[in-house]
Amino acid sequence: MRNPLRSETDAFRFVLLTIGYFALIVLGSLIDVWVGVGVFAVLTAAALWLVFRSRTGERPAPPDETA
Amino acid sequence: MSSHAEAVGHGHEEHHGPPPIHYSSRVPPQVLGMFLFIASEIMLFGSFFTVYFFDRVVNHGVHGHWPPPGFHRPAFVAGINTAILVTSSFTMHWADTSIKKGNRNGLKAGMLLTFLLGLTFLLTQVIEYHRIGFNTGDTSFAATFFGLTGLHGAHVFVGLTILLVMTIRSFRGHFSPEHHHGIEIGGIYWHFVDVMWIVVYVTVYLL
Repeated sequence: MRNPLRSETDAFRFVLLTIGYFALIVLGSLIDVWVGVGVFAVLTAAALWLVFRSRTGERPAPPDETA
Repeated sequence: MSSHAEAVGHGHEEHHGPPPIHYSSRVPPQVLGMFLFIASEIMLFGSFFTVYFFDRVVNHGVHGHWPPPGFHRPAFVAGINTAILVTSSFTMHWADTSIKKGNRNGLKAGMLLTFLLGLTFLLTQVIEYHRIGFNTGDTSFAATFFGLTGLHGAHVFVGLTILLVMTIRSFRGHFSPEHHHGIEIGGIYWHFVDVMWIVVYVTVYLL
């Protein structure tokens, strides 16, 4: 998962992911509160797994030499 | 004159002003600045959410349901407002991608639409405050409701100020495919405002 603050495009993608994340939680909570809690737990765990996986496997971009 | 003195003298003639900046970070300084600013903002919102959830847990136990009796959250109007703000993120992204492709008309239209949508959001929120039927001093629920939504509204106001400057600069032709950092940084802030609203809307109005 890319840092959403590196560029406008990454921030926009983060907006879309946030909408999807909360939409699923709200849908789950409409069925039952505990379904919503379960969806929240699963999605949060998935998001954390994606963040930590990318941190170990992805090297940061080299500095801009022209700067 | 020695060769060293010549080199120093020659260098002194060529370079004026302070030495060139050494970038120790892999992130450009403008992006790093926005990163740190947003990090501090997340902590600020976090403190407000902590108060909200504490109040909710305590008062839910007292009254048996949330919000307390006699209070109604205008979820439908806020939902329309959410759609408006999310749309403004799309137009912001359109403006950014347009200038990257050299499409100045797309940039101008995107920035103008983003500003107008943001303004619509803020005005709708102000009108909703007048119609909501309770005020900050009524209960702790009302205080935290206005605290969270008002804090976000203040950020929308700041964002609109930034968007106005960006829009004026877009119409004056200040941006190009090579130089559009002003759009990039402002866009990141606007998307942050959008993300925070989605969190506020879901927690305060829906759940």
